[in-house]
Amino acid sequence: MDLRRVYLYKDPSAATLDLAAVAAHVRQVLGVPTSVRKEFLRHHPVADLDETAARIAATRVTDLSRPLVPMDPLPPALALFERRLLETSERRVPGVLYDGFRLQGILRSVLPRAERTLAVAHVAFTSRLPGTFDDADRRYHARAVVLGFPSIVSTSGLVEAPAKPRGFYAAKRSLRIDSADARYEALKQEYAGRFLDWDDPRLTQVAKGYALQAVLHQVTGEPFCDDADCVLFNAHWQEEMLHAQVESGLLCARHRKVAEALRGGRRTRPR
Amino acid sequence: MPIFQPASEKEVTRAILSGFAKDLDRYADTEVVVIGGGPSGLMAARDLAKHGVEVVVIERNNYIGGGFWIGGFLMNTITLRAPAQKVLDEIGCPYEEFSKGLFVTPGPHACSKLIAATMDAGAKIQNMTSFEDIVIREDNRVGGVVINWTPVQALPHEITCVDPIALECDLVIDATGHDALVIQSLEKRGLAKRIGEGGMWIERSEDAVVEHTGLAYPGVIVAGMAVCSTYGLPRMGPTFGAMLLSGRRAAEEALKMLKKGVPAAKGAEAKGKPVARKR
Repeated sequence: MDLRRVYLYKDPSAATLDLAAVAAHVRQVLGVPTSVRKEFLRHHPVADLDETAARIAATRVTDLSRPLVPMDPLPPALALFERRLLETSERRVPGVLYDGFRLQGILRSVLPRAERTLAVAHVAFTSRLPGTFDDADRRYHARAVVLGFPSIVSTSGLVEAPAKPRGFYAAKRSLRIDSADARYEALKQEYAGRFLDWDDPRLTQVAKGYALQAVLHQVTGEPFCDDADCVLFNAHWQEEMLHAQVESGLLCARHRKVAEALRGGRRTRPR
Repeated sequence: MPIFQPASEKEVTRAILSGFAKDLDRYADTEVVVIGGGPSGLMAARDLAKHGVEVVVIERNNYIGGGFWIGGFLMNTITLRAPAQKVLDEIGCPYEEFSKGLFVTPGPHACSKLIAATMDAGAKIQNMTSFEDIVIREDNRVGGVVINWTPVQALPHEITCVDPIALECDLVIDATGHDALVIQSLEKRGLAKRIGEGGMWIERSEDAVVEHTGLAYPGVIVAGMAVCSTYGLPRMGPTFGAMLLSGRRAAEEALKMLKKGVPAAKGAEAKGKPVARKR
């Protein structure tokens, strides 16, 4: 099915995210009409905010070492917390990991029927931090992006999910500090520039690549690219991410052809 | 010539009794009861009182202030990260900038200033009084607290069989630290659950505590370290900014609710039940 339209959804908590610039980039690279909408659950309002808050609260991961089994009954505090966040989406969601696929399912369920088509790509930017459970090492991993329908790009995940430089963690361990310790900020300064930080001015540039990942995944069915210079590269380290998204900022030759085909109105798969 | 005015023993007794009785009579039915007189509870009470809200702090110890007297490792220097030093400005407590954005002040100075500021604002403090239970209203909404003297609780039940008393209120703020005693009371009835520590992805624990501060159950706001235990946030290092700002956020949330009428349990509004308590 041809891609006719891309919608990007705002994350009001991300002060340095210029989603209009991201939309312009997607439009230019892929030639698909792309527009910006309010945050996902504001653009697609739900009838019962309490119920939606409870559904989101049920996706909160409380044990990283086990696949999520939603708490039953759900502690009222969790639903009330999510309700507050739905009402004040400019607040960043701190320190909470959500099951990415379950969260994606909730977003999908509120899409209007007319837009539940692969001819439309929905990319929801959010401050919520999604994770996915990895059977290989039996634990949850935070993700910057959960590809699918709709795709989720997490502005918290871009900061938290790819690992910071190895030396950063070694120093953090040797100092025996956590993030509330004042020395943590000093440590971050030592590694400044080598990872994406909160309200980082490079966020928009990084978001451009992840928006392309989301849209091209829907077109090609391929999640990532193996080329470390391609913006579709699946970065596990912050330095890899910044290299692909900021230093390179380009698609690889193979994915450029896909983009060209898309601009020319041809449906293609990368070879 | 004696220095002091004469006063008989009975007059002193009557003065204590009438002052106490007047306060208790007033706060038997109040807008907000804060359980726990640590930094978050005091901060919440102070901000509420400054906005004209009737508020009483219940503290089980004789001394008020919780852990705010002492920093880490029994060293009585308090640390706060920006922007929490603005609270010290407000209460007139001097401090020094140790490094960029990190401030230090003597614990006794900060704690005594905060206690004084809380009382100056008009909050009532009831010390040596322990929270015992919650008062439950329609739809399982919390409508007050059951309290008793701390010494009564401290002695074996066989010796002290003393019934508690109750205070009615629109909102309870649970600022009881890691114990989250109010939430625990709800948990015993199967109405709430503390998630406990750990199991979360956390890089900004102080932010997390402040952002999670708010209504945790109809009629109950959690603040301070009670937030950690309610939501499963890990404990923080010896720094107090989140405690003060969590207390402030608790007051903001309470003010919003009091202004529009305290939300009753889910569905009560739809059923046409009053959201504000009759007083």
